[in-house]
Amino acid sequence: MGKKNDELFRFVEYSAEAAERTGYSDYSYWKSVFQNFMKKKSAVVMAIIFFALVIFSFIALMIGKYNYSSLLTDSALAFQSPNGEFWFGTDNLGRDYWCQVWFAAQTSIKLALIVAIGECVLGVTIGCLWGYVRQLDRLLTELYNIINNIPMIIYMTLISLMVGQSFFIMSVAMICFGWLTMARNVRNLVLMYRDREYNLASRCLGTPVWRVLVKNIFPYLVSIVILRLALSIPSTIALESTLSYLGLGLGIDTPSLGILLRNARNYFLDYPYLLIFPAAIVSLITITFYLVGNAFSDAADPRNHV
Amino acid sequence: MIKYTIKRLAQSLVTVAIVATIVFLLMRMLPTDYFFTEDQLMKLTPEQKTEQLEAAGLLDPMGEQLLRFYGQTIRLDFGQSRRIQSGVPVIRVIGDKFGISLRLGCIALIISLIVGVVLGIIQTLNKDHILDHVGTAYTIFVNAVPSLVSYSLVLVFGSKVLGLPPIYSTRNPGPSSIIPIACLTLASIASYALWTRRYMVDELNKDYIKLARIKGMSSKTIMVKHVFKNAFVPLVQYIPASFLYTISGSLLAERFFSVPGMGPLLTDAITRYDTNVVQTLSIIYASLGIIGVFLGDVLMMLVDPRIKLAGKGGTR
Repeated sequence: MGKKNDELFRFVEYSAEAAERTGYSDYSYWKSVFQNFMKKKSAVVMAIIFFALVIFSFIALMIGKYNYSSLLTDSALAFQSPNGEFWFGTDNLGRDYWCQVWFAAQTSIKLALIVAIGECVLGVTIGCLWGYVRQLDRLLTELYNIINNIPMIIYMTLISLMVGQSFFIMSVAMICFGWLTMARNVRNLVLMYRDREYNLASRCLGTPVWRVLVKNIFPYLVSIVILRLALSIPSTIALESTLSYLGLGLGIDTPSLGILLRNARNYFLDYPYLLIFPAAIVSLITITFYLVGNAFSDAADPRNHV
Repeated sequence: MIKYTIKRLAQSLVTVAIVATIVFLLMRMLPTDYFFTEDQLMKLTPEQKTEQLEAAGLLDPMGEQLLRFYGQTIRLDFGQSRRIQSGVPVIRVIGDKFGISLRLGCIALIISLIVGVVLGIIQTLNKDHILDHVGTAYTIFVNAVPSLVSYSLVLVFGSKVLGLPPIYSTRNPGPSSIIPIACLTLASIASYALWTRRYMVDELNKDYIKLARIKGMSSKTIMVKHVFKNAFVPLVQYIPASFLYTISGSLLAERFFSVPGMGPLLTDAITRYDTNVVQTLSIIYASLGIIGVFLGDVLMMLVDPRIKLAGKGGTR
């Protein structure tokens, strides 16, 4: 027996190089995120489509035969179906629909990105303070309840009546009332992690609060923050279209999805192309963000990393 | 339990009072020009305007106005509408619209609850098969695409292909409310299906289900007795709130299909400076939200005996 074992198993000689190799890991957080993301083919395809769409919206405006700023109303040309001259047809006032649709798509993307980033910065900052600083908890919870219990439409109506309607006002207003969900999510996570042992240890060793927040707690928030960021883009576009449709959003001369559909509401039953073109483009944008966001937040969650 | 209810009720009252005060102050921040119709703005002299504003008590110091408002609200006197329906008590104005919104919303809620939960169950049973993917595609589509666009698509499909009336009419409320109800159910079916599927899949992966399988229980019994019953608990929480929200009506759907319901009332009232209507509506909305959450908690506790609200730390 003993002899056989000696044949099967041999002692390995100590090698410094081999010991180093097992102890070393080339794990990097963002590299892992990227690798995990690339595994989801559908999301990658959608992301490429989205970038192509954004780039094409600029090209589309350039190659279009009409310029948005010099559109003329000409009732003789109203309701032309899509043809060689007007690629997306014309609207009820005889204006080229191609450049309006692409301009609206750009407006929507721009507004959504600005609002999403603004919401994210404000939401994460307030959420961290809300969760971490005990004295602020009561105050911020009350503030949240109050803002959340007043219908947003009241704020929006009042703002549009008192301040006016423009791209800038709209984005500031949407940021001001949009950070709540993000802050709440962040706060709940911070509450979960703030009193873990390693944070207690950090605090005992005299680490400043901001450092605990940024270094110890923030990495856990990344995936939820990205998810909310991605989801807030479709919902911002939806809210913008709703508000503009109701006449409370962007000004009538800023083309956006809401304004286009508002103008087309009475006509698109007879001229479906007035609905189909903006609807298809905007749906593509929002669905893309939805899918890419979900895939990216899965990839960003350290628990899914190998 | 009773102590807990009273405490929670008191907190809610404070929140409603603060909301009412803020809305009151916000409305007073509007320029008084909105008090008048465009015609009046052109014709009346500044003296006449001041006179009318004074008669309406809008030029008194803010504190005095606020106290008067509190006094009236405590006596449940919500005043009269000024411009929506001149001189009619606010309660009547809201009551008329309330019925329409409630009818549409309740039908939509019942349909979407049944269809949504059934869709979620079908998805779970066919997990990772074609039906599941179809259902997921539907939920993604509805969640991602702006409702204005999906409403428009439903409208075009309903009126062009099915030949239904495209706009709500009070003379013909039956057929003409089909498209609005379809639009209202669209989003909630998706969310019920999504959550049903998620909770059921979570439940299916638990150990006790595996044990039940090993014991030789039929999968039908497992589904009905264990998985569905447990997965339904978190869903139950949202039902009262969504029921109460049907009362407030859907702003976009009602405006889009010209339904004379509660939804568009609030914006109309603000733009016409009908302060009494705005204040009453916001008190109603805030109360509905708070009552909805509370009833949801109570219902959840009734369905699942393990959950206790009064305990320390809460259940969530």
